[in-house]
Amino acid sequence: MSEVRAYGTLALFVLGLAIGAVAHQFTDRGPGDNPYPSLPRTDEPAAARDVVQAIANDDPQSLSKMLSSDILTDLGTALDPIVDVRSTKFVGAVESEGRLLSAYIITGKTSDGNDFVVGFVLRVANDQVVGVN
Amino acid sequence: MVSRFRAASLATVVVGALLGFLIASAVGLVAQDNGLFGGNGESPVARAYMLGLLQRNPSAISSIRPQQGIARRAAELQGAATSRSASSIQPLSLTYLGGASLGQVQVHIYAVGLRSSSGVDQFFPLALTIAGGKVVRSE
Repeated sequence: MSEVRAYGTLALFVLGLAIGAVAHQFTDRGPGDNPYPSLPRTDEPAAARDVVQAIANDDPQSLSKMLSSDILTDLGTALDPIVDVRSTKFVGAVESEGRLLSAYIITGKTSDGNDFVVGFVLRVANDQVVGVN
Repeated sequence: MVSRFRAASLATVVVGALLGFLIASAVGLVAQDNGLFGGNGESPVARAYMLGLLQRNPSAISSIRPQQGIARRAAELQGAATSRSASSIQPLSLTYLGGASLGQVQVHIYAVGLRSSSGVDQFFPLALTIAGGKVVRSE
């Protein structure tokens, strides 16, 4: 009798799990239709990859040779408030009329030691990083 | 005795349903970050915000960003109305580049193509930070 009851309870619990999962599908709607055209993705530009590699390696010397002072200032702003980069992730790149945008997600620590995440985009033209957003 | 049995059964189903909902949410978040199950990881909140911006419709995004003072909201509506009537900006493309989450914070990045009233095409990125279902940073 107690075995039957245990199986019954387990079955009800599994039924509940299924109901919860189905309910989530109804409440968690994905993004609607995009009324504007999307541009095709391109590969990560080498110039941007080198810059992000230097960031990931905490290599300011390489970074100083690759970017102008203005772009370094913009990069600092884009990374704010992260001061200690822990991971970098390339998420996608698109190109329009020779202008490339290469997007990254950076996770790291703030000066207070808190975990933080930021996103930034490197602008690439003529195989060079020409801007940061 | 029967009512007690029913209550216990109902409680078991409810607890299971809550847990099922939480597990589905967690799995959904991981899938969103990694673009699994055919999705690209785009957040509905981020998409709604971008469409509101491109369509110059501050009312559409008022519920998904931090609360602002009435004067600022009025100024935005005024600016949007002027912008719409002048047809100064024509959206050309909206491309979701990708995103990630860390705890309650999500970052989503878009590339936007616009044509200004003078016919000049602009192509620029926008990174949105979402926390608590609201866009808290846009740059």
